[in-house]
Amino acid sequence: MASADGGAYSYSLTVFSPSGKLVQIEHALAAVSQGTTSLGIKASNGIVIATEKKSSSILVDDSMIERVAVICPNIGIVYSGMGPDFRVLVARARKSAQAYWKIYGEYPPTRVLTQELANIMQQATHSGGIRPFGVSLLVAGWDVNRGSTLYQVDPSGSYWAWKASAIGKNMVNAKTFLEKRYNDDISLEDAIHTALLTLKEGFEGQMTEKTIEIGVVTVPTEEDLEGWSISSANTRPKPTFRKLTEEEVRDYLAL
Amino acid sequence: MAAAATVYNPVGFDFSNQIRNNFLADRGIPLPKATSTGTTIVGCLFKDGIVLGADTRATEGEIVADKNCEKIHYITESIRCCGAGTAADTEFTTAMISSNMELHALSTGRKPRVVTAMTMLKQYLFRYQGHVGAALVLGGVDATGPHLFTIHPHGSTDKLPYVTMGSGSLAAMAVFEAQWKPSMTREEALDLVNAAISAGIFNDLGSGSNVDACVITATKTDMLRNFVKPNERVTKERTYGFRRGTTAFTKEEIRNLVVHEEIIGVRDDAMDVDGS
Repeated sequence: MASADGGAYSYSLTVFSPSGKLVQIEHALAAVSQGTTSLGIKASNGIVIATEKKSSSILVDDSMIERVAVICPNIGIVYSGMGPDFRVLVARARKSAQAYWKIYGEYPPTRVLTQELANIMQQATHSGGIRPFGVSLLVAGWDVNRGSTLYQVDPSGSYWAWKASAIGKNMVNAKTFLEKRYNDDISLEDAIHTALLTLKEGFEGQMTEKTIEIGVVTVPTEEDLEGWSISSANTRPKPTFRKLTEEEVRDYLAL
Repeated sequence: MAAAATVYNPVGFDFSNQIRNNFLADRGIPLPKATSTGTTIVGCLFKDGIVLGADTRATEGEIVADKNCEKIHYITESIRCCGAGTAADTEFTTAMISSNMELHALSTGRKPRVVTAMTMLKQYLFRYQGHVGAALVLGGVDATGPHLFTIHPHGSTDKLPYVTMGSGSLAAMAVFEAQWKPSMTREEALDLVNAAISAGIFNDLGSGSNVDACVITATKTDMLRNFVKPNERVTKERTYGFRRGTTAFTKEEIRNLVVHEEIIGVRDDAMDVDGS
C-alpha cells in the first residue's frame, strides 16, 4: 500500500497517504519540475522575471508563445509547468484584477492577487474528480503599500515571498547560483544581468532574444506618485510592469 | 470565485422588476427621480483626431446636484466616452466597458479599438431595452484611425464626423452645423467645441457651469478639465454680516455641556496591519 510512489493513495486527490501527504500534489510538483526553467529576482529598485522559451521543434512559430504574461499594469507572472493550465490561470487573474478595480478604483496589490490565484489553485486540490494545476507561478508586482514584491505559488496553493527564486527543470542549480550572487542592494540592471547568467547555466541550445522572455517591474518615481494621487476615476495609473522587447533583450545579451 | 456555485440564468429578458414598479406606480408610489446629467455633450473630428466636449452640470429634477461633475469617462488610454442621461447609468456602464476593454486588450495582445467599445455598449444597452438611460458620445483613435460614434439608450448607433447629445444637443448642433468644416486644426476644433458647449450652457437649463474637453490623437490624449470656466462665482461687493448687538436679548444662560472629563491613556501598541 505505502510503496514509494504512494501506491493506492496516489490516485485520488481527496485521500491523504499514511505519511500525511497528498500524493497527487507531489506528482503535480513533479510535472512542474519537468517544465522549462523560470526565475525571478527582486532588486532594490524593481524586479526581473525571466524564462526560457523552448519550443518542441524549430517549426513552431515561437512569436506566438507567451510565457511572461501581464495581468494588470502593475503585476506580471511567469510559470513553469503545463502551458494550458497557465493560460487558464492568467485569464482568471486578469478577471480578478478587473473585479478588484471595479470595487476599489485601484489595481490589486501583488499580495492580494497572489492570494486570489493561490485560492484558485487550492480549490483544485480540494474537490473530487478534478486535478491540481500543473504549474508553479512567479508573481512580480509593485504596489504602494509594500513596494516591489515577488511571490511563488505552487500547485498546492501555498505561496510565499522570495528575494530571488527559480522554478522548473533547472531550479536546484539556479537557486544555488542565485544564492551565491544575490545581495540585498542589487540594482535592477545587475539583476537582469544575473538573471540572464542564471538562465544560461542550464540553457540547452542558443540563448537569443527569441528563446528567452523577460518581464520587468520598475518602481515609479516621486513625480509619478504625485500625478496618480491627484488623478480621478478618469485616468489609470501608468504601468509599472512591462515585458522587454526583443531589441532590449538583445542589448542585454550583448553585454 | 466558488467553482461549485451555479445560479440558473433563464433565457430571455427578466421583467419582474417592471411588474413590481407598475404595481407600485398604480398605487401612488412613483419611481424615485434619478440624477440626470441634463447635459450638453459633443464630439468632433479634426485633422489629427477627435475632440470631445461636455458641460459640467448634474441635475436632480429642478435642482443642480453637482456644479462641476465629470462627464467625459475613461474607456482606454486613447478612447473616451461622454455620457448624458442618468448619471449612475453612464458612470457604471462606461466603467464596466472600460474594464472589459482592458481584459480584451490583454487577451488579444492588441491595442483596443473604438468599434469594440461601441459594439459592447450597444449590445449591453439593447439587452436592457432602453431602461439603462445612457446616451453616449464615444470617440477615440485606434490602429485604424479616428472614430466618433453616438449611442442611444435603446442601443442604436451612428457614426458621424460631428455629434451632439443631451438636452443641450440642439443648441450645440446649431453651432456645429454653422461652423464645422473638415480637416480643422486643433485650435479651431477646440474653439468650435467650446462654442458648442457654451451654446448649451447658456441656452439650456439642464446644462451649465464649465466646459470640459478631451483631445485624442494617435500619439496622446489630453484631458482638459474645466478648460473654460464662463460661470465663475464673483466675489460679493460687500459683506453681509450683522454686528453684535443687532438682536436684543432679555435673558442669558450659559451651560457647560462637559460635566466631568477624565483622560485615560490607551495602550501604546500600534495596530497590527501586517498580517503575514
